[in-house]
Amino acid sequence: MNDIAHPLLTAADRETFFIALYKSAFPSVARYIARMGGSADDAKDIFQDALLICYEKKIAARDLIKASEKAYLIGVCKHLWHRRYREVQQVDSLEGIDIPEKTESPTCEESRLMNYLEKAGKKCMEFLRAFYYDNLPLADAAILFGFSGTRSATVQKYKCLEKVRETVKQKSLTYEDFVS
Amino acid sequence: MRTSLAETRQIEQYLLQLAPPNEMLLFDAKLLLDESLQEKLQMQKKTHEIVKQYGRKQLRKEIDAIHQMLFTSAEHRSFRQKIMQIFSR
Repeated sequence: MNDIAHPLLTAADRETFFIALYKSAFPSVARYIARMGGSADDAKDIFQDALLICYEKKIAARDLIKASEKAYLIGVCKHLWHRRYREVQQVDSLEGIDIPEKTESPTCEESRLMNYLEKAGKKCMEFLRAFYYDNLPLADAAILFGFSGTRSATVQKYKCLEKVRETVKQKSLTYEDFVS
Repeated sequence: MRTSLAETRQIEQYLLQLAPPNEMLLFDAKLLLDESLQEKLQMQKKTHEIVKQYGRKQLRKEIDAIHQMLFTSAEHRSFRQKIMQIFSR
């Protein structure tokens, strides 16, 4: 990993971050989408996808955003718009910006599993999300989730991994039986 | 740490390529000999994918809640009007 402090530790931090980007970049994006013939809903969808991409970039500390976040976000929105409507084959190459492939939509099996885990395994999923998706350092995650220290947080992390892994196994077996 | 947790940790280190090269090689060898370990590896890999999807889904909910808040609360009226004007032309 690295030594740079994690920029967005809590839900409140994320909220502040997203509101600031909405205020600074959404008007420009909305104007652009409107000029291209898109609707307010198009602007909303594209902007929200771009915020997610921007967030993932920001927390993957290996891949720091070099340009300003606002400029980056607007660039991503333009790119997503063109990709969505394929009106322009040649998209401006955005300096130092690589945009992930379209976020895959989950299969039916994955959706079922997800719905199940959201209900039955919420605690573990939230904890695992903090580590593997939000990229929180162990010490911060321990505090956030009320553990006495990093040691007990680590043990809990592996317990949760095992628990979810077991569910994934059970559910994928039942589904395979069902389709084959 | 319990044996199974230690194994789960090893699988994690392998999947995220955090283990040193010699341990990666050793783990490769273990995988060849142990089918149940292979299965655990596959399931744990899938678990990581599911956690990522879960993270994205929850983050989208957070972002959408912010959108709703910005487009309904009195506090952000001028921002809302600015956006609505853009699409009313």
